[in-house]
Amino acid sequence: MDEIRKKFSRPLKVLVIEDNVIDQKILESMLTEPPAIASFLKIAGKLSEGIKLVNEFPFEIAILDLNLPDSQGIETITVFSRHALDLAIVVNTGVYEDDLGLETLKHGAQDFLIKSKYNSYVLNKVLHYCLERKQRERDLVNAYHELKEAQQHLIDSEKFKIVGRLAGGVAHEVKNPLATISYGITYLQQNLKTPDSNQLKVMENIKEAADRADKIVNDLLDFSSLDQFQKTPASIQSVIRKAISLVQYQLDEKQIQLIEIFTDDHDRVMIDKNRIGQVVINLILNAAHAVPPHGEIQISTHLSAWPDLGLPGSWGKPDLFASGEKIVVIRIEDNGVGIPENVLDKIFEPFFTSRRAAGGTGLGLSICRNIMEHHEAGIKIFNRPEGGVCAALCFRALSQAQEDEYAAKKDLNH
Amino acid sequence: MRQKKILIIDDEKTFTVVLKISLEALAKYIVYVENDSSRAVATACKFRPDLILLDIIMPYKEGPDVAIEFKNHPFLKQIPIVFLTANIRPEEIDEQNNRIAGHIFIAKPTPFEDLVQTIDRNIHQSVSL
Repeated sequence: MDEIRKKFSRPLKVLVIEDNVIDQKILESMLTEPPAIASFLKIAGKLSEGIKLVNEFPFEIAILDLNLPDSQGIETITVFSRHALDLAIVVNTGVYEDDLGLETLKHGAQDFLIKSKYNSYVLNKVLHYCLERKQRERDLVNAYHELKEAQQHLIDSEKFKIVGRLAGGVAHEVKNPLATISYGITYLQQNLKTPDSNQLKVMENIKEAADRADKIVNDLLDFSSLDQFQKTPASIQSVIRKAISLVQYQLDEKQIQLIEIFTDDHDRVMIDKNRIGQVVINLILNAAHAVPPHGEIQISTHLSAWPDLGLPGSWGKPDLFASGEKIVVIRIEDNGVGIPENVLDKIFEPFFTSRRAAGGTGLGLSICRNIMEHHEAGIKIFNRPEGGVCAALCFRALSQAQEDEYAAKKDLNH
Repeated sequence: MRQKKILIIDDEKTFTVVLKISLEALAKYIVYVENDSSRAVATACKFRPDLILLDIIMPYKEGPDVAIEFKNHPFLKQIPIVFLTANIRPEEIDEQNNRIAGHIFIAKPTPFEDLVQTIDRNIHQSVSL
């Protein structure tokens, strides 16, 4: 109760747009005489002056007369609300007509006051209620945007699935003719008696083109088989080491220093080694793109208990694991430029990329997240307080009992 | 040395024509082609190959079903089978030593030299058995 009273007696930052000097004075005294409704007050005589003030001061609410020297009627509210999107607005006018009153609400006003029909008590109540309404309106708009985003995510992932399925089918059909071309050229290269240099060049180029087409098809196949996983017990550290060996060349090229901090903790997890290797490679390469030449990437693993993984903030899904469950955490950190806050929530969207010009397809992190979801494991990417980015992966640790159970099952199958 | 007999069972005609010519050019194999997988067993009985190259996705009868027929056949069950497939990436097969569930796999298109190596390795194995 006290809190609400406090809320409703909080002084406001108010803008009055009113050309009639008497009305100005009345409002001013209502707003400023103790107990003051307004802690900050500016009065404009024209709409244009009001708009100018909005851009200069951080008002919370505006009291707006509709008939001003430079604007009359409904036009006043439509123009003003366009310039003051974040402001709550109370229309204050001498004539009252219901249709006009309702019309102002449609164009951005939160309430409608009739001059000389209210006292400072009513004014205070109206202003605070307007602020609340404006807040609800903002909440609604935010909820709408979130919903829109979720819908877009659904559409994207559906697109993703369809493209994947299509790609898988097409890839298979294309591979057969490719095999014919590839073997045919190999045969000709080895069996043509005394071919001239042009014939050799043509064959070489056909072979090269076939190999390139094959690579593209393999990428598509890779994309289409995102739902096929072969999970076996594995050491996360050995997966990371293999991933590092595959990207070492790119790291050396940029003279990036790689620091590995692997604890001796138990690091057994149930994963598809190739797929998780793919995730780790992707994250290392992202880090490598982010750091300057001679930059630094640190990869570490440790064992934690859910949900306290020693990382800032929370995981989107608090029920990803049971509380107290043993979790293997991988951290891949860089000292690069970080991710701009305004795109941080978009980085997992399919086809979102900051490197389109450099050939990024925007599928990398999206595939990573997909792979992690298929493992019922977590991925989180955030800007480190000390600068640079940290990508964290967390997996349910495999217990000895689970490992034994897997081995027994495997024996049974053989 | 006796020339080894290889039977290719694959519905992709252009591929089988080129592969037969390529393998026979090495002068160490006699190659027979069957494009209709439903006739695989009958053809194999007639030809008695030392090794079978078997496609996986085919109309009428798919590769694995053909392989089961061979495994259940009194004479044919000894013949080593190498699966040829366009469904798997070469790396995926390499990582598993060319074996999936105990069978030998080759991804299409694997370099021709690798295919020949795999054939030779597995033919010799069958002789020593």
